Amino acid sequence: MLGKLMARRLALALLTIVLATVLVFVALQALPGNLATQILGKDAPPDAVAQLTAQLHLDRPGWLRYLTWLGGAVHGDFGTSLATQQRVVSLAGDYLRNTAVLAGITIVVGITLAVILGVVAGLTRDRLPDVLISGLSLIAMSVPEFTLATLLVLVCAVKLAWFPAVVTDGPDASLGTILHNVPLPAAALSIVMAAYIVRMMRTSVIDVMASEYVAMATLRGLPRRRVLLHHALPNALLPALNVIAINIAWLVGGVVVVEAVFNYPGIGTLMLTAVHNRDVPVLQYIAVIGALVYVVSNLLADLAATALNPRLRTPARAS
Amino acid sequence: MDATPSNAPEPAPSVGPESFRSAIPALPQGISRRSMLFGGAGLVVAPWILAACGSSSSTASSATSSASSGAAGGATTSAAAGAPGSTAVTSGASGAAKSGGTLRIARPPASTVETLDPASSLSAYEYLGALYSRLVKQDASGGVAPDLAVSWSVSPDQMTWTFVLREGVTFHNGKAFTSADAVYTLQHILDPKTKSPQAGVLSPFLDSSGITAKDAKTLMVKLKSPNAEFVSLLMNYNCYVIPAGSAATIGASGIGTGPFSLVSFKAAGKGTVKANPNYFGGAPKVDSIEFTAIADVQARVNALLAQQVDLVAQTNLDFATAKTVTASSTATTATVKNAAWYVMPMLYNAKPFTDLKVRQAFKMAYDPQEVIDLSIHGLGTVAHNNPVPPTDPNYLNYSVPHDPDKAKSLLASAGFSGGQQIYTSSYEPVMSILAQAYQSSVKSSGLDISIQTASADSYYTDVWIKKPFCVSYWYTGRPVDQLLNQIFRTGSSYNESLWADTSFDKILDSARKEADAAKRKQYYQDAQKILVDSSASIVPFFADRIIGLSKKVVNYKEFGFEFDYVNIGFGA
Repeated sequence: MLGKLMARRLALALLTIVLATVLVFVALQALPGNLATQILGKDAPPDAVAQLTAQLHLDRPGWLRYLTWLGGAVHGDFGTSLATQQRVVSLAGDYLRNTAVLAGITIVVGITLAVILGVVAGLTRDRLPDVLISGLSLIAMSVPEFTLATLLVLVCAVKLAWFPAVVTDGPDASLGTILHNVPLPAAALSIVMAAYIVRMMRTSVIDVMASEYVAMATLRGLPRRRVLLHHALPNALLPALNVIAINIAWLVGGVVVVEAVFNYPGIGTLMLTAVHNRDVPVLQYIAVIGALVYVVSNLLADLAATALNPRLRTPARAS
Repeated sequence: MDATPSNAPEPAPSVGPESFRSAIPALPQGISRRSMLFGGAGLVVAPWILAACGSSSSTASSATSSASSGAAGGATTSAAAGAPGSTAVTSGASGAAKSGGTLRIARPPASTVETLDPASSLSAYEYLGALYSRLVKQDASGGVAPDLAVSWSVSPDQMTWTFVLREGVTFHNGKAFTSADAVYTLQHILDPKTKSPQAGVLSPFLDSSGITAKDAKTLMVKLKSPNAEFVSLLMNYNCYVIPAGSAATIGASGIGTGPFSLVSFKAAGKGTVKANPNYFGGAPKVDSIEFTAIADVQARVNALLAQQVDLVAQTNLDFATAKTVTASSTATTATVKNAAWYVMPMLYNAKPFTDLKVRQAFKMAYDPQEVIDLSIHGLGTVAHNNPVPPTDPNYLNYSVPHDPDKAKSLLASAGFSGGQQIYTSSYEPVMSILAQAYQSSVKSSGLDISIQTASADSYYTDVWIKKPFCVSYWYTGRPVDQLLNQIFRTGSSYNESLWADTSFDKILDSARKEADAAKRKQYYQDAQKILVDSSASIVPFFADRIIGLSKKVVNYKEFGFEFDYVNIGFGA
């Protein structure tokens, strides 16, 4: 039963990834301008443009170019960047590492922070801590991430000089340099991401605490800490899991803006350049990575939900 | 604050507009400004936005516009120019620089495939002046000054140029500089494989076979047609001298004869140059310069405010940002006067602009002072539809006054209904504000302008020279011969209005044949009069560029495409 379920999930995941690449490909075809004129300049002789167009295979029909790409991709060959002629996988490597560091720290810090604050808010419903936490998280949800990032720079980098304002190194910066530069971008992303999860956790904690089985456990004289950790929390986390998964997927897109503010050499920066260059292979690769993160984080959220809730492990009864 | 691309990078094209490079339009800033763009043209660029009011306080922004008064009276002609003078720059501070230190400069990357080959349209512009020297450079009054060539002369027919080269100059690798290197450099620029933007400027009257070495210190250039202004075209930033035979390696090696030698360089990344103690122009004040590539404008300014960099290159601060910078305790601003000119090209082959009356009406319909005040807070100089800056020695002080009633009657006699669409984009921040200022200023003339905002990153491929009416800009700093021939001559690739006027072209040819400098100037002034009267380009103003730098930096000096790398340093 579980096996069949997993197989279905995996097939859907694969379909999601392929669809994402199709959409990215189609969207790029719809953009005005093309790589050959971008590279050669506006006054390039038409025959030079035609030659480069042929060299880059841009003269072949879109569907054929897509299928060629797909054929390579299933064998792990993501092609060559049209702009730099480097292999896409090695070109993106450093950028991916940097974004992975940023996203990893953001996820750990953001989720931990959000779960703790959400629980505190839920347990202190309508009292001061809840009002503060709820208010702040509403503000954090409403402020665009680049505004938040700019504020952080002004306060923590310009006024207080605690952290660097921008990354001055390129994508191949050492891990030490990256870690030195990661606090502000990670803080900006963590705050925005945490805000959504806090709201979800708060609601969910309130619901669970009002439920009969928590009341029962409390009436039976179980210590409050045990009630919270063993009975309330796992159930409260369930509804928040999907919100967490969606936020992890959002990170892949949300970093684009934040990376620009901090000149952070991550996948968002690479994506901006690639869009500008109409560099299809690079964008397709980023699309695959993004879809993969989305699919995997949702899958993990479902698995975690199953682990937290025994009833979900047996679909027949659960429904 | 726009933290995002929208602009970015200046994005890029290879150029960028944000840059003052010339011909190349820039890119949206967000990204690579120059990235690929067109190769070369340079549109200029920088973002400024103009914000609000007031004058920016502090220190250095001496942005006083010496606008030659706008609307005034009838068409006056006077041979202008007086002392061409200070075009340039006000520095953050001047005074004794102590020697030593590392100057950190933030710059917009040209693209991810940028190169140190100065002839390329994808060159990393800020490195060029540090690493290389040219045969000649521009002086502060727009004239030609010696660099690697100490003197030059031309035959009476203006066809054969002789350059005497500087003695005792060595490249960073120790090799002596000779005329063979100068020959090689010019041939490299003309080589179609180099795809140099400057090839288009030179190739109409020069081919490789005409470039020879008479002896080790004498360069001979035999032109195909007369050109009395040829030497001024060698001031271009694509004309830096590279060692003979280095075409394949120069993009990475950066070996030149300039004030700094290359330590490291990474496309769109970090790079360092160190002082060249043997530089013929005197050893630089600082020990080294560290270049950081930062695509986003706001991120560059943040780096300055956080003291991670000392100077922000090729970035025009908008008015609000300039105020923030001058209010900080560590940074300040400096102004480069008249750094760019803005233009609204009207396509000569498209209705309604095929009609001279319509073009004249469109130029007469707006109030120049109102447009410059609205667009850039008056931080610049009114241009009166003449793209030659008042500081150029060949400038003609001539204007056709703002006259809404005459504009109206011209439009009526042309049978023009009064509605016209203008294209703009966020490619560069002044562009859209200019479109709005123009739209509002021409209402009293009965002109109804509607504004269409196009995508920034395909603006220069899909709108420019394609739509009948749009907004664009260029950096100043081109010698007058290049400016007029490259942007206004019939059939030139950068002729953005497709304007074609044989009498104008003939005057330019006459100027090139003319040996007498005073007569040549007269020709260039005649050409400017034709531009003001009948060209298809509305040129409302020259705009200053406000740059940000650390208060510790002294002797920042920049004008045209010249940057003083030798004297800039840190205050004692």
